Amino acid sequence: MEKVLSVSNIEKWFKKTKVLKGISFDVHQGEIMAILGPNGAGKSTTIRNIMGIMYPDKGNVTFHNHNGSEIPRHKIGYLPEERGLYKNVKVMDVLLYFASLKDYPKDKAKKRAIDYLEKLGLKGKEYASVEELSKGMGQKVQFIGSIIHEPELLILDEPFSGLDPVSQEIFKNEIKQLAKNGTAILLSSHQMNLVEEMCDRLFMINRGQKVIYGSMDEVKTEYANFKCTIRGKNDLSVLEKLPAVTRVEQSDDISIIYLTQDVQVTNWLKQLPDSLDVQELSVDRVSLHEIFVDIATDKNLAEEVGGSNA
Amino acid sequence: MRNSMKVANWEFKRNARNKSFIISLFITPLLFVIFAMAPTFLSNFGDDEDSETTVYLNDEVGVFEAIQPMLEDRDFVSWDVVETSDEPEQMQEQLNEEEKAAYVLINQETLESGTVTYMVGDDVHDDFENELTILQQPIKQAQLQVAGLSSDQMQLVQSPIDYQLAFEGEASETEAEETGGFPFEQALPSIFAGIFLFSIVISGMMIFQSASQEKKDKVAEIILSSVTAVELMQGKILGYFSLGILQVTVWLTLVAPFAVWKLEDVPLFEYLFVPETLMLLVIAILGYLLFAALFVGLGATIEDYSTSGNFQGMVMMLPFIPFFLVGPIFTNPSGIIAQVATYIPFTSPAVLLMRLAVLDEWPWVEILIGLAILIVSIWIFMKLAGKIFQVGILIYGKNATPQEIWKWLRA
Repeated sequence: MEKVLSVSNIEKWFKKTKVLKGISFDVHQGEIMAILGPNGAGKSTTIRNIMGIMYPDKGNVTFHNHNGSEIPRHKIGYLPEERGLYKNVKVMDVLLYFASLKDYPKDKAKKRAIDYLEKLGLKGKEYASVEELSKGMGQKVQFIGSIIHEPELLILDEPFSGLDPVSQEIFKNEIKQLAKNGTAILLSSHQMNLVEEMCDRLFMINRGQKVIYGSMDEVKTEYANFKCTIRGKNDLSVLEKLPAVTRVEQSDDISIIYLTQDVQVTNWLKQLPDSLDVQELSVDRVSLHEIFVDIATDKNLAEEVGGSNA
Repeated sequence: MRNSMKVANWEFKRNARNKSFIISLFITPLLFVIFAMAPTFLSNFGDDEDSETTVYLNDEVGVFEAIQPMLEDRDFVSWDVVETSDEPEQMQEQLNEEEKAAYVLINQETLESGTVTYMVGDDVHDDFENELTILQQPIKQAQLQVAGLSSDQMQLVQSPIDYQLAFEGEASETEAEETGGFPFEQALPSIFAGIFLFSIVISGMMIFQSASQEKKDKVAEIILSSVTAVELMQGKILGYFSLGILQVTVWLTLVAPFAVWKLEDVPLFEYLFVPETLMLLVIAILGYLLFAALFVGLGATIEDYSTSGNFQGMVMMLPFIPFFLVGPIFTNPSGIIAQVATYIPFTSPAVLLMRLAVLDEWPWVEILIGLAILIVSIWIFMKLAGKIFQVGILIYGKNATPQEIWKWLRA
């Protein structure tokens, strides 16, 4: 697939703090690429550097063959994390204004606006005042505003925040549809389940540095090991002595035993001692959510693998 | 520039359709007309109350004829004159009953002694004695007639002394003409430019709101993904400038018929369309640009006006400083205060307009120095505002302190 956006080795300083320490990734046509990380990791700063709202102190942002300030920004759609709409204007007026800023023809924009309003359940709201919209409706209008000009690259910063599950579903499907039609999508979100479901690749960032970068499958194979959850009163030391264990977390009478990557689950289960107190037992894979939490709380999985087996 | 125009167009349309803007657009000239009418209206209203003093005039000399036209005009007094031949003693009782009435006796004795005898009822206002001066001229005339003066002599005695400047230049001639006509011929272009300046600065203050609101509504980042911060800022300045023009056009269109009606003999438009007007408008526009830069930068630092500090409030007051200077400048338009204020960019537009309204000879050197300082200041303020705007508009959730703004400026 064609490379639409390429971020290479960008660095950014805020006064004396280095907030981006050499970030590099690509976004391809028709894929959904997630940029993940805890609050303050540098996601929004990275995005603002791509959008030319600020410029990196080092490194390059390339869109097709354009660099830095030459990037044709009307080919990019952007839904920022901090977003809103003018209050005392009509929905259609705002959408047409956004379209005109992107040099998109007015009549086409009008048609697209009406189509999308209908698609997102806002039929007939085009001449309503923005003030009359609920928060969720407002978000939908903002979303339409970011795609009204048929961008080649769409950057969505936290598109799901504040949406109810139904709207989340609508957004998710719409984003997938856009990707299917060839739009390159860079998406930042904290809703790990949604990211896991819809993204092709992901880039995880913490403290301005790359932590994980790869396709969803690669990441899962590499990081999403098995874990065994047991409810029952068991001694931590006993559990830690089991084979192929990287780490054990205990709270009350629930123990989560993290297993090594190469573990054979059935074999491992057979080796459990009879003395264990088992009220409930389940084995599943570590989710993206847990990988994320581990990284955010500095329980670096890779390090623990070597450390806890000893 | 194209992007700036788009922003300007949007800001203009958005506000021009806004209900509160439209309402104030039409209410302001209405208020102006009301205020212009109020004094006349109120004084007429007051007249009704204590008007119509019944004056019993015992006129044995025949001055009544002379004052009759003046009484009919009712410009000076409102008397309802009833001629009578009663003596003061007889009137006493009647005035006791009829409280809003007076009695005036003018007879041979009046002419000899120069003393007019009169009596008033309880309700007659204190000004009545002043009103009696209306009788002075005819009585004097009658006195002179009695003294046997010829009509030429009488003319001479009665004509007032005139004072005339020895230097008979062109100026004094025109001035002599003017005193008879409209006193504001020279000031009219300045008044016009003043209204213009006022209107665009007022709408310029909306830039502040607009920038602050954009920050509050968090639209800025979406807009900045399509245009640069400087384009957005320029667009706002341009948009609100057009809004100010719209405002002043509406005002003048609404007020002009009223002004023409009120000042029917004055060729207003002839006085207005002179080359000076153009110069004064340029000064007004420069004034707008300075304050616009100030407001747009400031607006980007404030998210919530109710919790903003004194600093921002003080900056908002800057355009109004010239109002404090109105007194000193009109008393002495070439004085030291006027000169210094001409060189301070915040005061110079308004002060220049005031000075040029009253000065016969324009102090070109001062004007040019003042304008040069103003233009340089505008350039500097635009640069600074651009810096503040760029950083400020994307900082969410708080107002910037002066220290922070200082840091952005140095960055």
